[in-house]
Amino acid sequence: MAGAEATNTIDSQWLDFAPLIILLPMMTFAVILFLGRVFNGNPFWKNKMKEGGLIALPVMGASLVISLLLISEFLGGFNPLKVFDPATVEKIAWVNSGVWDGGSSVKSVTFGFGIYVDHVTVMLLFVAAFLCLLINTFSIGYMNTDPINDNRNHRFYAEFVLFCSGMLGMVLADSFLWLFIFWEIMGLCSYLLIGFYYERPSAASAAKKAFLTTRIGDVFLMIGLVMLWDLFGSLDYAVVFDEANIEAVAASSAGTLQWALGLMFIGAVGKSAQFPLHVWLPDAMEGPTPVSALIHAATMVNAGLYLVARMFPFFGAEALHGDLDDLAFIIAAIGGITAVMAAAIAFVQMDLKKVLAYSTMSQLAYIFTGLGCAMYLANTLDWHHDDDAHYIVVVAFGAALFHLFNHAMAKGMLFMASGSVIHEVHHAHHHLHHHDDHGDGHHDDHHDDHFDAQSMENMGGLASKMPITATAMLVGSASIMGLPLIGGFWSKEGIIANAWRVAQEDPRFFLPAICVLLGAAMTGFYMSRMWLKTFAGKPNNEVAAHVGPTNTWIKTPLFILTFVTLSSVIFAGLGFTHWASDNSYELGEKGLLKGLLYELEHAFANSDAFFFVLTYIAIFLGAVIGPGLAMALYGGKLAEGEETKPWMRPVIQLSAYIHKRFNFDNSAFAESTLATALENRLYIDEYYDKAMIHIVAAFSTKAAEADSEVIDGTIKAIESGSQSLSSVVRSMTTGSARDYILMVAVGTLSIFMLIWGVA
Amino acid sequence: MSNLSRVEPFSDGFVSAMCPELILFAGMLALILIPNLGKGTFRIPGTQIRLPWLLGGQRFKITSDPRLPSWLATITLTAAFLNVLYIFSQGLDRTLIVTDSGKELLLINGFSRVFELIFFGALALASLASMNRLQVHGIGSKVSESELYNNRRQADFYILMVTCALGMSVVALAQDLFVLFIGLELASFSTYVLVAFLKESKVGAESGMKYFIVGSVASGVGLYGLSMLYLWAGSLQFSVLSVAFAESGTTALPLIGIGFVLVGFGFKVSAVPFHFAAPDAYAGATSPVAGVLATASKAMGMLGLVRMLLIVAAPESSDGSAIWLVCLGAIAAITMTWGNLAALGSDNPKRMLAYSSVAHAGYMLAALTAVGAWNWDSTVSGDASAAAVAVMTALLLHLVVLVAFKLGAFLVLSILESDGGASRLSSLGGLAKREPLLAVAMFIFMISLAGVPPMAGFLSKLLVIMGIVRVAVGDMGAEIADGGMYAIGDLHWVWWLALLMVLNSAISMFYYLRVGVVMFFEEPEEGREGPLPAGWQVRTAILACVLVTLLVGVAGDSLIRLCEMAAQSLNYEW
Repeated sequence: MAGAEATNTIDSQWLDFAPLIILLPMMTFAVILFLGRVFNGNPFWKNKMKEGGLIALPVMGASLVISLLLISEFLGGFNPLKVFDPATVEKIAWVNSGVWDGGSSVKSVTFGFGIYVDHVTVMLLFVAAFLCLLINTFSIGYMNTDPINDNRNHRFYAEFVLFCSGMLGMVLADSFLWLFIFWEIMGLCSYLLIGFYYERPSAASAAKKAFLTTRIGDVFLMIGLVMLWDLFGSLDYAVVFDEANIEAVAASSAGTLQWALGLMFIGAVGKSAQFPLHVWLPDAMEGPTPVSALIHAATMVNAGLYLVARMFPFFGAEALHGDLDDLAFIIAAIGGITAVMAAAIAFVQMDLKKVLAYSTMSQLAYIFTGLGCAMYLANTLDWHHDDDAHYIVVVAFGAALFHLFNHAMAKGMLFMASGSVIHEVHHAHHHLHHHDDHGDGHHDDHHDDHFDAQSMENMGGLASKMPITATAMLVGSASIMGLPLIGGFWSKEGIIANAWRVAQEDPRFFLPAICVLLGAAMTGFYMSRMWLKTFAGKPNNEVAAHVGPTNTWIKTPLFILTFVTLSSVIFAGLGFTHWASDNSYELGEKGLLKGLLYELEHAFANSDAFFFVLTYIAIFLGAVIGPGLAMALYGGKLAEGEETKPWMRPVIQLSAYIHKRFNFDNSAFAESTLATALENRLYIDEYYDKAMIHIVAAFSTKAAEADSEVIDGTIKAIESGSQSLSSVVRSMTTGSARDYILMVAVGTLSIFMLIWGVA
Repeated sequence: MSNLSRVEPFSDGFVSAMCPELILFAGMLALILIPNLGKGTFRIPGTQIRLPWLLGGQRFKITSDPRLPSWLATITLTAAFLNVLYIFSQGLDRTLIVTDSGKELLLINGFSRVFELIFFGALALASLASMNRLQVHGIGSKVSESELYNNRRQADFYILMVTCALGMSVVALAQDLFVLFIGLELASFSTYVLVAFLKESKVGAESGMKYFIVGSVASGVGLYGLSMLYLWAGSLQFSVLSVAFAESGTTALPLIGIGFVLVGFGFKVSAVPFHFAAPDAYAGATSPVAGVLATASKAMGMLGLVRMLLIVAAPESSDGSAIWLVCLGAIAAITMTWGNLAALGSDNPKRMLAYSSVAHAGYMLAALTAVGAWNWDSTVSGDASAAAVAVMTALLLHLVVLVAFKLGAFLVLSILESDGGASRLSSLGGLAKREPLLAVAMFIFMISLAGVPPMAGFLSKLLVIMGIVRVAVGDMGAEIADGGMYAIGDLHWVWWLALLMVLNSAISMFYYLRVGVVMFFEEPEEGREGPLPAGWQVRTAILACVLVTLLVGVAGDSLIRLCEMAAQSLNYEW
């Protein structure tokens, strides 16, 4: 990166079309909403157009195709592009305004919209566009088959496409300003989507909670952006990442810059549901499952990561060498704490989607730790001149980004698979219990009869009923756990290794380093527990025994994502980790096989003894201890006569064996205060509520009093005064032409008096 | 700016210069002829031979359609409108129509063209929207094709629309007070009849009569003023008058004349205290006609004032005689406050809009006052023309966009009118449930009238206020920027008009937003829960208004440039 010169001869065909990636879904939002209102209930609209689902689908497809064309062009060499090189910026002027620049000078500022493409953009663009399309496909199978959504799915699809537009826009934007604008569009849509079943009080309050919690972060983000503007006089990446500008700022106010970035990081904490702003995410499971998948895997939570990744040039800048290490530590530490905390809470969750929600928090925390470590390395090592240091930084940053990629794919799949399970369990329950006694067979509320289709208590042994879903879930879980060679393994190992590498340099980092190592074991446990409780063993009740296979719309994305997660090994072989953070490494420059061998050697036979041991400890914890414990507690054979696919058979048999052999009584733990605390999410929500009631609510009451008495009183007095004046004035309009002419005469005389008076 | 070409009537260049007016004239002829085409025959005297001559008799199916006149008028007016737009896109020529003896009759330049846009646009929208609205039983009955007036009665209405446009555009072009007066009366008489068109209803006839009486008095006074000016200068040519005014403008005769003329135009813009007939007229007329009165007719009055005050009694040429400045400022201040106060307590939406248009007249008069504040007051100096052009631009822009949201609001009321009346605020109740898009449109119009961003009304009001302040600050602006300190008392007093505008806007928020409250939060009146009467024509017109309101608000640059060009071309010197 140091010596690579930027030749800015960019001649891209597809860059001009990039705004369409954002605009198409945004326009579709209006179209679906409009058509949905007009044709609500129309059979063609409902059955053939899937209430807008089949309008959204091709649009998301088009967005993906344009994205892919742009990406392929990027890969195929409208390079050379440095990372964060402003060369690809194309601008559309938006607002042009004068800004008071202190003293008496006014300078002109143009806020424009442009497209900014670099490696981070390309990766997230693919993740977002690809998953949005798949989730859209899934939604058609999920939303349109549930009668309670009838005649309002258009609202879902409209909000969905607007959400996608927000995410894609955020990724492609060329300035922090537009990043923030699209960020807020997403925030709005997440509010609307989580509250999709707004008639349900729990959903309505979950939506509010999500909106308000993320809003806290957003306020800080906004303050951070204002500070950044104050420092640089612009929010365009091209300006703020310019080395000369960073140098100028670093010389005078490096400390202020750290504060600005720190405040922006709080915004990321809120959006990505990290401690202490994580409380909204589990509740957000009230939304329909595709929404969970969308918000928790593909898009919104990654926005926070994207924002932090975008800050990387500051950490990597030579001029700021050693100035930002505190912030890097904070990022890593927040990640570490959240990773362990969320994993611990996931231990005791019975709700399938909530396990996944906490798992998401925990995995995102890994990525934050990875980013924090990479930023620490970039900020403290002399990586611009030292090739070894350069390699270390690139790999550290790349590992975090690669984990983002792996996690998004796997978690998207897990959510959709869980949705498929819930859908079928609910369906089976419906079939069993409501078929006869409810003539209409429709229910306005999933929960009115105390049957919880999301609870793992109502599942078990589903591996034989839903083989594709079970397989997808198995692969996804393996990827999240980091089982060797599958998906997340490649990136997770990198994050753990880098955390320890940094810890050797700076003892503060032992906190995140130990956390992520511990987290690996915990992940192994709760993911295995989830899979085993859902798919292995005997059906827990009658409902679970009657679950049937799912429909094609749902299967297709699961199938595709299983493939992508498994092929993560290919990405690793292509050197994704290096490429994702620095394009002086080309994708696949070593050749696939050699690259793969290199990665394998690096992972399993590290020449450095410390990392060699560390790797095996991590694998042992994540792939043996965690799952082992889970199998001992929850393993079990399927019911008599039930068969499943051959690749799942050994897993189930192994679990049954371990269960038999090593089963132990965990009731001591289950009844301990720790377990209760975990079930209550460590009481964090309660503390927040208390703080709200005692501080905010008390203050609001006073403010409301002042408002209603002082302000409203004044206004009401003015209003009633004006009203009485108004009736006086209007009473002069008598309705008689004679009076009007009299007034004309009066007016004429007044005019003469006024003119005469002056003359 | 291109050179001024002088053209005699019916010589080369006349047709291209007067193309929009000629289109109107042709349309008027078509409106007279086409609805009368029928199977009429003509018997050759002394024989039994009957020759078909197509006029009169039983009408053909197509010519007896009650909607035909409306179509003809709409097409004519739209064609004229588009023609003006085309002329703008081709770049403007300045043409002066002169008599063979060299007297200036009509001047065609950017300024007059902008007013033509306003007039034709407003009338085209109104005639499109009126298509299904002229019913035998007057305001209040549900619309049905068989209940429309027959096509002859319809033709009367639309011929008046077109003559109104013709009269207005003559006012826009006139360079001679006599020509101007002719145009003014042509337009005025058309509007008197249009207001009283529903003669069968008591309220229509009464309000038309009142409007006519007060209007004639005002016209009479104005005409008297004109005769004074003629007595004094021996000519009614603007060019002659302005030269004469520069020489001896402070003598009694011209002052009396200008004072009287002010009354005449004051009625047209409904300035206090000449506005009294306006609320009655608006309430009695059909809503589209009321909309025309509030927009096009008002623009015509403003135009007359501009010609009278800025051309004839031009500030530059009347050094030391800030004669009309104080007077106009006082009228502006009273007008805007009066209008808003009266609208505040009004329960009839049409009267409310009428008073709101009185208030808007006040804003525009304030802008006009600011233009006149230049050049003779010692506290104001500096780059006179730039500031004057800025205010003038704002004024023109306000007049243009007013067509969109004021007329639009009246058109929404017109739908309610055919649904059983729009004379109470509660008749808007539950509109959001009955037809959400219509409620949204009405709300957009209301907040645009109130001047809320990002609507067009905000932009124009902001520019007016900024322009007035700029005038008031004068050349102190540069010194303030350099750190100079001034007290508010150092500013020119027109500054207070800007402040008053801001305060008035705050008052006006109350009654504009109340419409929103009624539409969105209150239940429909008893028996009015059902869907509103159909009619895509009026909805198309409303849609056009909404689009203009929104588009100009966020991307009004080109329109502002157009208005600026027009403002620059107002005077030869500018």
